[in-house]
Amino acid sequence: MFSKILVANRGEIALRVIRACRELDIPTVAVYSEADRNALHVRFADEAVCVGPATATLSYLNIPNVISAAEITDADAIHPGYGFLSENIAFAEAVGAHGMVFVGPDTRHLATFGDKLSAKEAARKAGVPLLAGTASALKSEDEAAVTAKQIGYPVLLKAAFGGGGKGMRVVHSETELRKLYDVTSAEALASFGNGAMFLEKFLPTPRHIEVQVAGDHHGNAIHVGERDCSLQRRHQKLIEEAPAPGISKDLRTRIREAAVQLVRSTGYNSVGTCEFLVEGDEFFFLEVNPRIQVEHPVSEQVTGIDLVQLQIRIAAGEKMPYQQKDVRTKGHSIEVRVNAEDPWNFMPSPGRITGYHAPGGPGIRVDSAVHDQAMVQPFYDSLVAKLIVTAKDRETAIRRMGWAIDEFVVEGIKTTLPLQRALIDEPEFRDFRFHTKFVDEWLEKRK
Amino acid sequence: MELERIEALLALMQDFNVAELELEEEGSRIRLNRNGGAAGVPMMVPAPAMVAAGTGQVPASATPAVPSGHLVKSPMVGTFYRAAKPGSPPFVSVGDRVQQGQVLCIVEAMKLMNEIEAEVDGTIAEICVENAQPVQFGQEMFRIEPA
Repeated sequence: MFSKILVANRGEIALRVIRACRELDIPTVAVYSEADRNALHVRFADEAVCVGPATATLSYLNIPNVISAAEITDADAIHPGYGFLSENIAFAEAVGAHGMVFVGPDTRHLATFGDKLSAKEAARKAGVPLLAGTASALKSEDEAAVTAKQIGYPVLLKAAFGGGGKGMRVVHSETELRKLYDVTSAEALASFGNGAMFLEKFLPTPRHIEVQVAGDHHGNAIHVGERDCSLQRRHQKLIEEAPAPGISKDLRTRIREAAVQLVRSTGYNSVGTCEFLVEGDEFFFLEVNPRIQVEHPVSEQVTGIDLVQLQIRIAAGEKMPYQQKDVRTKGHSIEVRVNAEDPWNFMPSPGRITGYHAPGGPGIRVDSAVHDQAMVQPFYDSLVAKLIVTAKDRETAIRRMGWAIDEFVVEGIKTTLPLQRALIDEPEFRDFRFHTKFVDEWLEKRK
Repeated sequence: MELERIEALLALMQDFNVAELELEEEGSRIRLNRNGGAAGVPMMVPAPAMVAAGTGQVPASATPAVPSGHLVKSPMVGTFYRAAKPGSPPFVSVGDRVQQGQVLCIVEAMKLMNEIEAEVDGTIAEICVENAQPVQFGQEMFRIEPA
């Protein structure tokens, strides 16, 4: 097992990793920017190293400084969290080159799944259903037009190296396709450094269902249940839950098995998530996230499996401590992401938290790195806390989430809590008749 | 620094159970100690500590004077070396006159030796880190009396 882990991240996920390390008796090193000098992850790690000024590119994304910090503290592993350097191949390689272990999959998996086209190819090889679309990057507008006609409009024009819900455009006709082709490629080049694009059939009202998976370095592969993350605003997840409600037992089994098959077939060797779009009784591969994700707690709550500890143990070379039959879901768990944003217009709302009280009691879990008087910085993403509610069934979980949100006090900044409070009251939420466009349409109607 | 500000700092120290606080802002610097000057008292709140002793925050016996001068801070994370190689004479010592652009030390990061230069002309008043000790971003390494 590792003798010391450096956590190359901040905020709630850094604290989450530190907590997992504490239980594994592994000392931790936090890295921080000057803006995060008083942050909780800095205070609760065993050691801390300042790696730069507030700007992320000069601190949390500063590969030489992060690696140096691990060297001077004698860390033998680095946990990248999510976002930041968690899928950065150059970083993962540098970690290995300096004799340390990157807590994540081998870099070849970061390469396979960082490129949406090679990810699709891996899925196809594993026998996972794919959306109709191009298997390689489009060479020209004409090729796009021909392919789009074959697939059938509407189609999605997607950046091969896009991420975070960005870099895609819905196209409804050939005229529109020809109008948007060049500008979409230019945007992809500017945002992701690569203008390669491909086409995919567009599903108007799918559900987003993803499967938590884990593979070790000994060829073992399991799933840890699925999650439904359909409630998104402009592709940013707001509410997630496990297990996915209202899908047939058959679909549930097929989608979980497909995810495991993908892990087995690629030899993926860490924890990760296979994302799918579901329409009716059919599911289609979307992408793989080769890292721990924000919404991992809901899977932990219904299975009792600590995913971060599992990730660390796998990275240390341990054999998968669970067999598939050991993975059973019990009850229902829902998470809301509390972002420091105006709940209706989503303008960022950084600032000092002047009053803070998190809910508690049975079935309430709050993963957060803020506290009363904490500064929510404008330099990083707006996630302030995750409120995770677990109960014996979905109906009870929804009711519990309602009063938990009512009890959650965050003053001094605006948060998305009022939005999520309203959403869970909607009949479509209660009857799980939602889909990935639901929140956007609901917000439009409110205006 | 106004009395009001000092009072606010003391209240903050009380709230967070901090024994010692050193603050530098806008050219002035103050060190507040709640334990009547017992500089060796461990902090009640576990403070982030680097593995080495030489972090430049050696609790000096009561120094009411605010040190002046230009502080040379490390622009990166790495290991501080006073000389180009082991056995070589150090680049500078306390009392040396230095010129802007003159190499003061090496910070080694990821096997690369980075030369750190003086940003002002002056005299080396203090060397804040011991040889071969780690430094973090922003850590004070030299104090130069500008001339």
